[in-house]
Amino acid sequence: MKLQTGYNPETPLVMHIDLNSCFATVEQQARVRLRNRPVAIVNRRTEHTMIVTASYEAKDMGVTLGMKLKDAKKICPDLVGVESDPAKYRYVYHKMLDIMNDYSAHVRMKSIDEGVIDFHEAPKAIRQRGMETIGMEIKGRLITEIGKAMRCNVGIATNRFLAKTAASLHKPDGLDIITAQNLRETLGGLELTKLTGIAHRNEARLNAVGIHTPLQFLDADAQMLRSMVFKSINGDQWHQRLRGWEVDDVDYDMKTAGRQFVLDGYNLPYEQILKRLHHLCEATGKKIRSQGKVARGVVVWATTHREQGAPRPEPGRGGWEVQRGSRYWHARHMSTAPFFSDQAIYSQAKQLFRNAPPLIRTIGVTVYELSDDVDPQLSLFGDELARERQIITAVDEINDRYGKNVIHSADTIGIGGSAVNEKIPFGSTRYL
Amino acid sequence: MNDELFLDERIEVLATFGSGLNPCYPRKFKRANGRVVDVEEIGLRHPTTQGRRTVHVFDVTDGAADYRLEFDAERLTWRLTREGDRE
Repeated sequence: MKLQTGYNPETPLVMHIDLNSCFATVEQQARVRLRNRPVAIVNRRTEHTMIVTASYEAKDMGVTLGMKLKDAKKICPDLVGVESDPAKYRYVYHKMLDIMNDYSAHVRMKSIDEGVIDFHEAPKAIRQRGMETIGMEIKGRLITEIGKAMRCNVGIATNRFLAKTAASLHKPDGLDIITAQNLRETLGGLELTKLTGIAHRNEARLNAVGIHTPLQFLDADAQMLRSMVFKSINGDQWHQRLRGWEVDDVDYDMKTAGRQFVLDGYNLPYEQILKRLHHLCEATGKKIRSQGKVARGVVVWATTHREQGAPRPEPGRGGWEVQRGSRYWHARHMSTAPFFSDQAIYSQAKQLFRNAPPLIRTIGVTVYELSDDVDPQLSLFGDELARERQIITAVDEINDRYGKNVIHSADTIGIGGSAVNEKIPFGSTRYL
Repeated sequence: MNDELFLDERIEVLATFGSGLNPCYPRKFKRANGRVVDVEEIGLRHPTTQGRRTVHVFDVTDGAADYRLEFDAERLTWRLTREGDRE
């Protein structure tokens, strides 16, 4: 990697668009009477569930993500809890994507509520209109094409990192541009942990070498970042990223797929947990097949409730298990042959789950070592595999045609419908 | 949680079909108890699928409450499925 020492002087042509408090904003758009009221989006219709997204009105009252709804209501008695409705968010995601695609062929959605437009190869006529004009136009189109309650942040810069930073400067309806000229001034007004990718661990690494502010980070030598802070090429990448040079224009292959579920009862019987695990395996199998992948490894994991009488964890930093008083257990198995069926995933997961601890709170299953489903090697069990593939393809087609879980294992009757319903797919946009 | 009511009520709807971004606009609907509700604003219209069947969901308000109407595009039926935030 050739290191550029100066700040990137080019005209900013990368635009980051972020629908902040997206799910709450969409609910306020849909349900007119929720507008201008504190709203919290939760995944279950209970007071004990955690808040996934809060509206700006709720955030102003001190409500934060991850807070339990019942605790949030203590500081914000008028808070309205609304159960998440993924179909709405998917619709808005696709509308936003359609709008962004009108400006450039190089659009990447980073998650369900944010995306990046790279204008470097956009038609000259579009680039000549100016990024600020286009940013304002996109804000206007969100309002006219989705609804008047929709607001977004727009950030414009020379690379993806600074564009995202710009989009976080003036929430909820900002438009900011970071250039080589105002880079120092902009970073000077931020804290280290406000930079995307710098959480507490990286902050501690930087603090250890005397870097306490983004400006000190910007002025740090590439050699020091590489050899003393990040101890890898990450140091060089941070050096470039902060100066506005693009290092994040990369697509990553799908490496794992899975699902997790917070159990819908305290200390559920083992058989009931297995049924839910079975449903997660079916959902995971469908995920990899929809992407044309096969897997070779399965991980099952669980977190448990704190046992009665166990000491409360110390407040402060640390792993999330320590902070939340949970305990983490996992087991994994790697097969010699690739697999793709729900049954193959479940049989391995069930076997692994025999050693699971008591008092389980959350369960999850993940498949890994994914590869494209085009293995040319002949199998000794070719006929059997071909038969299995035909059955699975037929079942998937029926489910696609008549609705999710029209056909599923008898074991998961009554589970798939409501208890383990898929909620908001954070992170990957592959399944949207 | 908020005070949403979950319903599955077949309703009669007077809707207009025009042009533009939202060509279908339910103007008023008659509930099973005979009450007529005038739609003041559509909050959001989004499509959902039940298998390959498309159901258009309209979140609307009459100014006093929010309602969710579902239009089955295959069967051409309207249902009232939710009512919330009644004053």
